[in-house]
Amino acid sequence: MPHKCTKCGREYKDGSTEILRGCGSCGGKKFLYVRKDDIHKDVLEEKPVGEIAGEAGAEVLEVRTGQDKGVEMYDRVETIRIVSPGTYELNLEKMAEGDERIISVGKEGVYNIDLLSFSRDEKKRKRRKR
Amino acid sequence: MKIFYQTFGKAKKKFSSFLNRFFKKKRTRIGIYGPPNAGKTTLANRIARDWTGDAVGPVSEIPHETRRARRKEDIIISGANGATVTIDIVDTPGVTTKVDYHEFLEFGLEKDEAIIRAREATEGVAEAMHWLREDIDGVIYMLDATIDPFEQVNIMMVGIIESRKLPVIIVANKIDLPDASPARIRSAFPQHPVIAISGLEGKNTEELYETMIERFG
Repeated sequence: MPHKCTKCGREYKDGSTEILRGCGSCGGKKFLYVRKDDIHKDVLEEKPVGEIAGEAGAEVLEVRTGQDKGVEMYDRVETIRIVSPGTYELNLEKMAEGDERIISVGKEGVYNIDLLSFSRDEKKRKRRKR
Repeated sequence: MKIFYQTFGKAKKKFSSFLNRFFKKKRTRIGIYGPPNAGKTTLANRIARDWTGDAVGPVSEIPHETRRARRKEDIIISGANGATVTIDIVDTPGVTTKVDYHEFLEFGLEKDEAIIRAREATEGVAEAMHWLREDIDGVIYMLDATIDPFEQVNIMMVGIIESRKLPVIIVANKIDLPDASPARIRSAFPQHPVIAISGLEGKNTEELYETMIERFG
């Protein structure tokens, strides 16, 4: 089922991680799972998305982005930020993409790039695993 | 004569690898993922004990007890109708976007110890994400049913798993606790099967096993 922004009605595909940053059009933070049949109901019947949710008995998904700092995290280049010894912030989206590691240390703008992790041969790694 | 044996040997090898391709035991690698302290190791131990008699790893109330992925191979699960599935269970470290050693101090750990635990936990998350990309055929996504599931990390992880097109079962754990609400988890992830269990007490694990055969078989 797709998500729909309750504020502006913009549609997002199922499993879309974009909505974690808030709606791309209006910045709304509340989303709703809409059944396929109801997807255009808000336009056709001129009802707000929230009302359709009420009718369908579905719950509204509120994405909590926390402080503004948390939002910006998903635009970061680093995989791991070492805030201080023993305190780490992890960028799961980057980790899911590959084993390449960029580590930022402390203040904004200081990075360690693990060059070896970028040069590893993807094919070789696959073979080793088998 | 020598040449005959050589060609015969080669042909034999080829033939057996050909047969192996068809008759090799089908085995599915299932990763148990989820935030720290959801009960992943407890469930891995429960599955291993129920079907092989062994355990997978130690459990603790301090988050990030599992800091390396642990694997238990060749677990054969059979259902009521006689269907079976052979799986490898991979118990993974809890996935989170923030690891802070201060959290462990509350559990009585010394500062040095807590810092080392945080570092290992961070490596553990990286390892868990590595396995998700390279070596996992299906996912059990585990949630503590007493905690609000609408957390960014859960929505992001389920999104990542979906984008890799892996079959997923969501487990609402800890239903033995009074404030558990599996319904809340169902409403958060209506697109996936949600099974409510107690890994600790073994409540409703049969339904989980049946669903595993259905989804991962």
